Amino acid sequence: MSQFMVSLLLIIATFGLYIGIAIFNKARATSDFYVANRSVPPIFNGMAIGADWMSAASFIGMAGTIMILGYDGLAYIMGWTGGYLLLTFLIAPQLRKYGRYTVPEFIGDRYQSNTARLIAAIATIIISFTYSIGQLSGSGVVIGRLLEVDVAVGTLIGVVLIAFYSALGGMKGITWTQVAQYIVLIVAYLIPVIFMSLQLTQNPLPWLSYGEIIGELQELDKQLGVTEYIVPFTEASKWQFIALLFTLMAGTAGLPHVIVRFYTVKTMKAARWSGAWALLFIGLLYLSAPAYAAFSRFILMTEVAGNSISNLPAWTAAWIDTGKLSLADQSGDGILQWSEIVISNDIVVMATPEIANLGVFVIGLMAAGAMAAALSTAGGLMIAISAALSHDIYYRSINPNASEKKRLLVGRWSIVIATVVAGLVALNPPGAITQIVAWAFALASGSFFPALLLGVWWKRSNGPGVIAGMITGLTVTLAYIFAAKYGGLSILGIIDTGAGVFGALAAIIANISVSLFTKAPSQKIQDEVMDLRYPEQLTYKDGEVWINDYKDV
Amino acid sequence: MKKVDKKHADSYFRARVILISCSLAVGFSVSYLVVLLAENLLSITFNGFPLHYYMGAQGAVLTFIILLFLNAIVSDKLDKKYGFIETNKKDISSKKTLTH
Repeated sequence: MSQFMVSLLLIIATFGLYIGIAIFNKARATSDFYVANRSVPPIFNGMAIGADWMSAASFIGMAGTIMILGYDGLAYIMGWTGGYLLLTFLIAPQLRKYGRYTVPEFIGDRYQSNTARLIAAIATIIISFTYSIGQLSGSGVVIGRLLEVDVAVGTLIGVVLIAFYSALGGMKGITWTQVAQYIVLIVAYLIPVIFMSLQLTQNPLPWLSYGEIIGELQELDKQLGVTEYIVPFTEASKWQFIALLFTLMAGTAGLPHVIVRFYTVKTMKAARWSGAWALLFIGLLYLSAPAYAAFSRFILMTEVAGNSISNLPAWTAAWIDTGKLSLADQSGDGILQWSEIVISNDIVVMATPEIANLGVFVIGLMAAGAMAAALSTAGGLMIAISAALSHDIYYRSINPNASEKKRLLVGRWSIVIATVVAGLVALNPPGAITQIVAWAFALASGSFFPALLLGVWWKRSNGPGVIAGMITGLTVTLAYIFAAKYGGLSILGIIDTGAGVFGALAAIIANISVSLFTKAPSQKIQDEVMDLRYPEQLTYKDGEVWINDYKDV
Repeated sequence: MKKVDKKHADSYFRARVILISCSLAVGFSVSYLVVLLAENLLSITFNGFPLHYYMGAQGAVLTFIILLFLNAIVSDKLDKKYGFIETNKKDISSKKTLTH
């Protein structure tokens, strides 16, 4: 069977599995038995968070980014995992106790301001839209390779698939579907790393074995006289590394579609355990990505570079067709040098199993895993956009009398329009997948992170404060991204991807100073914030703490 | 509903704040502090890795995971010690969650 058929069959089979589980669960949910006992154990909720979280950026983009950037790429590893510390310690359990379903809703109610909710809804749309450009770009890489066409054509096909997938809608919220997606995703990612580890080091545990390969890479780099892989801050300044690290961490703690997952748990205790399990499952992929990067670089350096240009392996042709790989014999000596290989961050993960000759099944599995990562996250983002537009903006601010049918229609159209517009932007992606996604994180860390942090931990913060904070944060972040990317601005060497640090700082200062200059929030709101200090079953009221004894109810 | 001594409740909150601050301090030192000192760690190796690279690729992530599990365990113990045990999850959540 050809590679194309195997990949296609695996993609169809895994998607059939997700849809099958969704249908099976919907049928079960209607039975009284199931409704009476529907809480999902934290361990499975953790897997579902993992599936939601790991997008095309984690699956397709990250290892490639590390391979190209070396040590500097590790900011993505620490940032995207460290965000769960901020989330689980400072925000998620408290938001769980406050008990609202969406982030704009929390902000609107906690700050008693419809304007704040409207701004939060607009911020949700901007962030989710930016994020989905990265996902579409990722699905373009996978489909482009599958059909051996240009990535732009692949992206267009991805647009149609995502619009269709999001229209299925209901599938998204079903935890067991996401558990299945997580398992497909992680198996697809781990198999090639383990095989490469066996091939190169005879050790089946890549996490322990790739230190050896790192050492050999250092030697190879020295011989070639190129910048060494492990030397820090070669691509950008140390401050850029730290700014990016902060941006990714704070952004994680402020991403609406991730926080929403914590609302589905029942108690603060369950929120803490879900956070811990989620990071364990996410960590499995994140601990493997740097190993993947090291193996890929080693194979490219030792098995591809140095070949005669007329005798390149078969895998190269298909990837050159996608427009993301170029191998040119610039020196004209008939030999392909390491410096003559120009490989895009975005294809490293998908191309490596082919380079390492791991067989049609593993390559097909990678394609299925990557599609699951890109489509599931894109679907969730589209639903976040449509909810913000149809519920928070259209229904609550423009037309409060709208019928349910009309709201649904607005939601559907917003998905179609958002997907098509994001697809058009992704046709000529403004950056690598991880970079585009990093902008979404910068926007989240400039808008939601300060609003949620102060909303939970500082009762004096009020409506005017949060409005000033979110507007300032969004403006500063957007302005910095554009000025850095297109105007060449850089403070302390910080580039576009590190913009969140300025946005968050400006937003916190604006929120605090405007809050202090305006009237304190009502006693009721201040009591509600005090209430978040105590566990689920304690209630704070008028300076006293009460324990709810549900056995009497 | 039974009243809880405010001092008792506040001492619970203080214990939680200490737990959170210590955990975040550890989390920040294995990430930000190591990055700040990266050039000084180049010559130290751990399991074949230069130390700064090891911390970025594995050490920090493993520490984060351990911190979150420790937090979950210690917080449960704290709830128990202060007598705030979640008896019936379903009832608690039905009081707090708004539905549309």
